[in-house]
Amino acid sequence: MTVQAQAPTGHALHAQGVRRAFGSVQAVVNASLTLTPGTVTALIGPNGCGKTTLMLMLAGLLRPDGGTVEVLGHDPVTAGAVARKGIGWMPDVLGMWDSLTCTETLATFGRAYGLSKADADARAFTMLEKVHLADLAAQPARVLSRGQKQRLSLARALMGDPSVLILDEPASGLDPRSRIELRDLVRALAAEGRAVLISSHVLSELDEMVDEAVFMSKGVTLGESAEAEVARARARWRVTALPGHDVHAALSEAARDWSPVEGADASVAVVHVADADDAADLLASLVASGMRISAFGPVGSALEQAYLSIEQERR
Amino acid sequence: MTTTETSPNPTVTAPARKGNPWLPTLHGTFLVTRIELLRRRPSTKGWIFYGILLAAILGLGILVSVLSTAEKTSTPLELVLVLVLGAGMLIGPSLSATSINGDSGEGVLAPLQMTHLTAGDLAVGKLLSSWFVAFAVLVTTTPFLVYAYARSGWHLGELLLVLVVILFLVLTATAVGLAWSAIAARAVASVSLAHLTTGVLVIGTLVLFAFTAPLVSDTMTETDRYVAWDELSDEQSTALEDAYNTGDFSAVDPDALVCDEETYEYGIAHTERTAWMVLINPLVVIEEVSPLVNPLTFEEDGRAAPGIFANVHQMVSSARIGPTEADAQMMEYDECADIATMASGDDESADGGNAYQDTWEQQQEEQAMYPRTPWLGLGLQVLLLVGAMAIVTHRLRVPYRTLRTGTRVA
Amino acid sequence: MTILEEAPPITAAIQATGVARAFGSVQAVQDATLTVERGKVTALIGPNGCGKTTLMLMLAGLLRPDAGEIRVAGADPRTDSAAVRAAIGWMPDQLGSWDNLSCLQTLTLVGQSYRIPAAQARAKGLSLLRKVHLEEFADRPTRVLSRGQKQRLSLARALVHDPAVLLLDEPANGLDPRSRVELRQYVREIAAEGRAVLVSSHVLAELDEMVDDAVFMSKGRTLGDDAARMVAHARTRYRVWSLDVDALRRALTDASVPFEEAEGGAMVSIADEAHAQQALAWLVGAGVPVHRFGPAGSALEQTYMAMEEDRR
Repeated sequence: MTVQAQAPTGHALHAQGVRRAFGSVQAVVNASLTLTPGTVTALIGPNGCGKTTLMLMLAGLLRPDGGTVEVLGHDPVTAGAVARKGIGWMPDVLGMWDSLTCTETLATFGRAYGLSKADADARAFTMLEKVHLADLAAQPARVLSRGQKQRLSLARALMGDPSVLILDEPASGLDPRSRIELRDLVRALAAEGRAVLISSHVLSELDEMVDEAVFMSKGVTLGESAEAEVARARARWRVTALPGHDVHAALSEAARDWSPVEGADASVAVVHVADADDAADLLASLVASGMRISAFGPVGSALEQAYLSIEQERR
Repeated sequence: MTTTETSPNPTVTAPARKGNPWLPTLHGTFLVTRIELLRRRPSTKGWIFYGILLAAILGLGILVSVLSTAEKTSTPLELVLVLVLGAGMLIGPSLSATSINGDSGEGVLAPLQMTHLTAGDLAVGKLLSSWFVAFAVLVTTTPFLVYAYARSGWHLGELLLVLVVILFLVLTATAVGLAWSAIAARAVASVSLAHLTTGVLVIGTLVLFAFTAPLVSDTMTETDRYVAWDELSDEQSTALEDAYNTGDFSAVDPDALVCDEETYEYGIAHTERTAWMVLINPLVVIEEVSPLVNPLTFEEDGRAAPGIFANVHQMVSSARIGPTEADAQMMEYDECADIATMASGDDESADGGNAYQDTWEQQQEEQAMYPRTPWLGLGLQVLLLVGAMAIVTHRLRVPYRTLRTGTRVA
Repeated sequence: MTILEEAPPITAAIQATGVARAFGSVQAVQDATLTVERGKVTALIGPNGCGKTTLMLMLAGLLRPDAGEIRVAGADPRTDSAAVRAAIGWMPDQLGSWDNLSCLQTLTLVGQSYRIPAAQARAKGLSLLRKVHLEEFADRPTRVLSRGQKQRLSLARALVHDPAVLLLDEPANGLDPRSRVELRQYVREIAAEGRAVLVSSHVLAELDEMVDDAVFMSKGRTLGDDAARMVAHARTRYRVWSLDVDALRRALTDASVPFEEAEGGAMVSIADEAHAQQALAWLVGAGVPVHRFGPAGSALEQTYMAMEEDRR
């Protein structure tokens, strides 16, 4: 897999203060983000916060009203052709040419990206292998299931060998196994040196997939405050003891920063730990003090925690 | 969706239901019609489009009224009626032909099928809502209709009857569109098929009528007699030439003339056998319910001169009557007999023409006043309406037994 | 809630036995058997194209089964589909709304379609809009709604007539994270009111927290007791993370505890919480630096993965 030489600035895509209105509706107010080659960045926000609009602007399909976007050092507004060449975009709507086969669909896009016929066919074949659709290569797109179409859509986004991949809700509608496969595929694409921006609503899954997260709310990307929130959430451990054991007292005794869990008794608490070593130390000391602990680990999804606390403030 | 919120939860009372009803109900039909009309509230662009359409209709109307003379004429009225029928038969099916497969594609059909609405409610409601839009076209033409009617020589009852029939024809075309929408998976297909059906009825029937004429033709032989000029003596030729020039045939001895006979074969179409093809044409149905105009006495009758409809009626009647004895007689030409008649002095030369003229006028009057028969056309329309609605209702009934190929429930 | 008072003594709101349905030559559902009880949330889980949606359509009385028996609130959808539809609130997987109509208008009209008087339908619509946080959109056309908002409107629409049984086909698809959390709570609330809920979803981790029962489906068949046993088994799997993985595995091997290797630690089988506590105390006591210890993720997901290995 060949990826073009990266822009000298060290980032694949950089957006600063981007905004866009549709009529009187300000879809994106002020969005800034940076994608680094080899990393997966999540774009997280509630329905209608402007994620898709932002992605369209990054992909060079929509002109921002203000702000700057730079893809591999090019501005999609003034140098659209060059910028789009570096970008693979997977839309949130599934559009396929029903009567074309998978290979034909991909090869046609390959030709549209300016590949020769032979190259386009070869690349189509490689991409189908990559997304595990090789055995359906000769089937028309209409017989594909939703998950298979989703993978074909991803393959289509990869036809131009992009350095930047923008995936809008790629897991939407996928069954559990396909979700896991998608996760692995995205990680593999990042490992090849591509920069990936991915949006999803299932934060527990993003937790395992992404390196960075950009939170968005009402058209604004939340910068460092959100990062701090994620870091805080990653350091929150839940301690569960057998019923009737007072974890709260034990944690207070150990002079720990802890909080009770809503709707649970004193046998459950959430405690702040600095890192894994600190967690191991805490567990050892709790067990040594005779506390009967049955579960000990991070509180659910860090991204979800962060998301919910950020959203809480904004309501 | 938070648990903490204590919003009042109003109780609702929905009646219990049994069985699997499908017949339309008044309440359900009304509700579906309302929903569909609310959904079709035009956007700004839509209003602009309708404005242009209305302006076009009015403009055309004004143009016709300016160009026409002050005397009574039914042509403007007939044009408006044809326009209303045409617009209705385009708009109604266009709307209805997307309203089942389109809704299903958008995912808004099945949620309604889940409610107490029956298949009949949905079918009739969708039919009426599309039809109302076509009805609105009629309403927009009212100003010009009133003007055109005022000088048409028609009676009010006659106009109302034609309007009712037009609305009925549009209703049927709309129902056919709805049926295609229930059958075809894609909106593109059902809209094309709906317009194709209308096209077959309006143009196809005429084409078919024209093409089937040879199949119902009989071969007739006809004998013409001519004076054999070559065999006449010089005196005879001179006398006959003079007679033709002066109109005085007294110097000609008809018995001495030598005559040649020539026999021709020609085909006559027994159009009375294929006239039904024309009668099922919606335009013909309209014409067949509009008033008869006697081409000889229209002025005394207080009518305008025969317009498009009256002329079409005459043509249709001629097709229905088929070839007659009089036609055959008029075809034959016997120069010798004519000369004999004129030489005997019984008849003036103009009288021969008069006899011909009388026959022709009689025939015209007979055709023009031939009884109207919209029944075949209307009967077919009733069949189409009932059949289409039966298909629609059947295909809307849940639980589905079969689905349109390549579609999902929803 | 009137539902509770009227509820007949039987608790099964949906009872389906040996249901089958083919589309042409494609056998979408081959043999589906399931029971959905009042007051409980039941999950319907399976890969794309396994027949979940077709089964739900048959339960909803929209599609006629080729074979098998279905009873919804005591009625047979084949002969008494009106009664079935009256008892069911169905939220389809496809998002559809009348673009031109406002949210409140939509709910009112759907209510009236159930022959609820207009005033009542309107009041109910308003309260439901409040419930799904769309009250600010009550008078705005549905075309301005985002995907997640439409999804919530669709849920409200399914509840307009106070159904005794709720069928939710992928209700969380496209919902944002907070709405997903709220949906989970709301579904639990609905069940607590005595209604039966059947819900399908692909995000098994979320279902874990929401459902009482699970029905797995594969290639048109529901998997009965096998799958239930596998879920029970999956619930006994614990995962241990240690700073020193080797020390952990050595300790387990020395004590001849069977385990599977997992990234950063090991998987072990533990019957219940009390045993878990003992196991953890023993490991820590043996000097293994454990920093994470708990049930191994989603029981439903593990079952699904174990069951679905032969997908291709």
